[in-house]
Amino acid sequence: MTDLYRKDEEIKKEQFQELLSDLTRPLNHTSLTFKIWTGFLLLLAAGAGFMYFRQVQQGLGTTNMRDIASWGLYVSNFVFLIAVSLVGSLITAILKLSNVRWATPLTRISEIIAVAALISALLIIVVDMGRPDRLWHIAVFGRLQSPIVWDIITVNTYLVLSLLLLYLPLIPDLARLGSFMSHKPAWQRKMYKILSLGWQGTGDQLKLLEKSVAVLMVIIIPVAFSIHTVTSWLFASTLRPGWDSTIFGPYFVAGAFMVGAAAVIVVMYLIRREYSYKQYLTDHHFDMIGKLLVLTSLVYLYFNLNEYMVPGYKMKSGESAHILGLFKGEFAIMFWLVQTVGLILPIILLVFKPFRKPRPLLIISLIIVVGAFLKRYLIVTPTLLHPFLPVQNYPESFAHYHPTFSELVITSGSFAIMALVVTVFIRFFPIIPICETAHEKGIDQETINNQ
Amino acid sequence: MATLKNIIPILMLFFPVATYSQKDVWTVPPEKAAKVNPLEIKPKNLTVGKNIFSRNCVACHGAKADGQGLIQSASFLTDTFQKQTDGAIFHKMVTGRNKMPPFGSVLKDDEVWSVINYLRVLVNPSVLPPPKDIRIELAASEETHSLTAFLTTADSVRVPLGEVDVHYYIKRDFGLMRFGEISNYTSEKGKVTVSFPDGIIGDDQGNVTVLARIENDFLYKNNESAVVLRWGSLLVTEDAKFNERTLWGSRSKSPVWLLILANGILAGVWGVILYILYNLFRIKKAGKIFIK
Ligand code: HEC
Repeated sequence: MTDLYRKDEEIKKEQFQELLSDLTRPLNHTSLTFKIWTGFLLLLAAGAGFMYFRQVQQGLGTTNMRDIASWGLYVSNFVFLIAVSLVGSLITAILKLSNVRWATPLTRISEIIAVAALISALLIIVVDMGRPDRLWHIAVFGRLQSPIVWDIITVNTYLVLSLLLLYLPLIPDLARLGSFMSHKPAWQRKMYKILSLGWQGTGDQLKLLEKSVAVLMVIIIPVAFSIHTVTSWLFASTLRPGWDSTIFGPYFVAGAFMVGAAAVIVVMYLIRREYSYKQYLTDHHFDMIGKLLVLTSLVYLYFNLNEYMVPGYKMKSGESAHILGLFKGEFAIMFWLVQTVGLILPIILLVFKPFRKPRPLLIISLIIVVGAFLKRYLIVTPTLLHPFLPVQNYPESFAHYHPTFSELVITSGSFAIMALVVTVFIRFFPIIPICETAHEKGIDQETINNQ
Repeated sequence: MATLKNIIPILMLFFPVATYSQKDVWTVPPEKAAKVNPLEIKPKNLTVGKNIFSRNCVACHGAKADGQGLIQSASFLTDTFQKQTDGAIFHKMVTGRNKMPPFGSVLKDDEVWSVINYLRVLVNPSVLPPPKDIRIELAASEETHSLTAFLTTADSVRVPLGEVDVHYYIKRDFGLMRFGEISNYTSEKGKVTVSFPDGIIGDDQGNVTVLARIENDFLYKNNESAVVLRWGSLLVTEDAKFNERTLWGSRSKSPVWLLILANGILAGVWGVILYILYNLFRIKKAGKIFIK
């Protein structure tokens, strides 16, 4: 009854108030699960730190990388993390630019995943170096002709763009936080204040922000494509069985979109559970991103068919040892598991709506993520074990590669650091955009400004 | 009883070892083992033996002849080895087994015997007198393009020395290149001549350094003599190619198209980043005006 008499404006005001307190809940509430989770991640990171200290002290001998397999778990992990980071551009830029409304609550999740994966990727590639103290040589002696130099440039550029694309849409939210979080310690309020750049939501500011975000969304797409294409060229520009391919660029990008979407689903699910965000991350969102996952998986399946069918049909003498190793040799079990359970089965299941409900989708996504990691391993290592030029007089142990305990600990540590970045971000910043959600709910700028 | 209990495990330990070495024994037919070495142990054929050993055997049997070359082979220093007759060793070298190649088709009988003599001396060097100093002079003849080494005693009398093996080498960038015969023995006058090979590339002025060496000899200490000759063809370096801008070139030699492309992309993308940073600055400024 009373609603009828209340001014429309007041209802909107109340709505926004509710939205604000809902979406800032993660900033105020730390459950036991959250604490255990953070502690667990810190433990993993500390373990990795210790093992890395040991590795620096004793050298790369603590890994099982040798003359023949000189790239192992670390480089596979690097490629995997770069792949995951591409999702930032897929959801925040590609979907947003195509006016896909349901993507709004997922933008910040995908962007922080991108930033976290990039940070972790940059760390793991330093870990792979035998002499990290000579990292600066790349700036002083690096040759522009080398794809490794391109990779360093593009990855860092993409990190800067991702940080900007994470930060810019956050500015209006930060301005709200400054006033809403009065119970927080002074340094935290000060941080919000500085970061919000004196945002008032004036017409000028809005226009500038909108324009900047639009430009960012456009420029980040080619840069995102280029980082994974260049990563693939690290392999494709060398003459080796399994890498000597002209479609490596799109093949990697397609795989990246698939694993990235799966990674976003996992994080989405965890956030929805931990903060009971059923009304912001709805079943509809899961359904839609599930469909996106089928699409990206189908594209990736198509590339896989090309990548393995054609060389497998020709069986060039130099490559056959490598291909047979994958099809029915040393790596056959892993290869077929990755292709069937990690790729074909998810596609078949996801076509049916019940499997795109949050929980089944989570399980399928976890399988896809694990499969994608193993896939990167299958791309990097078996090739190195079958060089074109014959090798001789080397110890038997060089002919195979099995990561050491130290490599495994450091690799899981890199995942822990990635998860930590996401976790800490959720603790200090609204993971679901406040002002954008308000706009979509029809709350006007004035209400937002005056709150 | 107690002793029996102790003995059985020990016997069991020996059993596999015994069967193993049994299988590994390399039996030589008695009539082959009885063959007699026709060569005396003399410095000249020892030198032949040492030369062959360092050329054909060191890779597997090791420089010390202890069987620790690039692969595990057999040691020549053990008593079990040295107890064999010369005939038995001859048979093994000529026929070979497993990774031991048969040298019958590679080496002449006399050469095999001289290697065997050398292997004998290895564990028993006292049968030879201590090596003496030797003087070596190397002279080149422009007319015949040949080199002559002249060997004499090192004292002031300078007695010419015959029957000494001289090795000739040409100095290359990363080592020495042998030329002449495998053995070049001096005549009674103490001289031995070899001709200089054709087609040798020298430095940019055609200079080559030629060495004559006394080595692996059992009567004389190592010694060498060198001359620099202008007998090589001129070295042509393709510096121009190295100075081209190529994909495999050095940092300062990257191709122009790559420089334009890469730096163009970089400038474009970072230009946008700078533009956005500038916008952030403008947003901040716009906020301040509003407060006033
Ligand atoms: C390609 C490697 C290789 C080369 C080169 C080689 N050997 Fe051998 N040799 C072996 C191996 C391996 C054995 C052990 C074979 C076995 O017991 O089956 C062996 C065994 C022998 C034996 C028998 C040892 C014994 O215990 O009775 C003699 C003698 C011998 N080698 C002499 C020579 C001589 C002399 C040369 C050089 C002219 C030579 N080998 C070059 C690998 C080589």
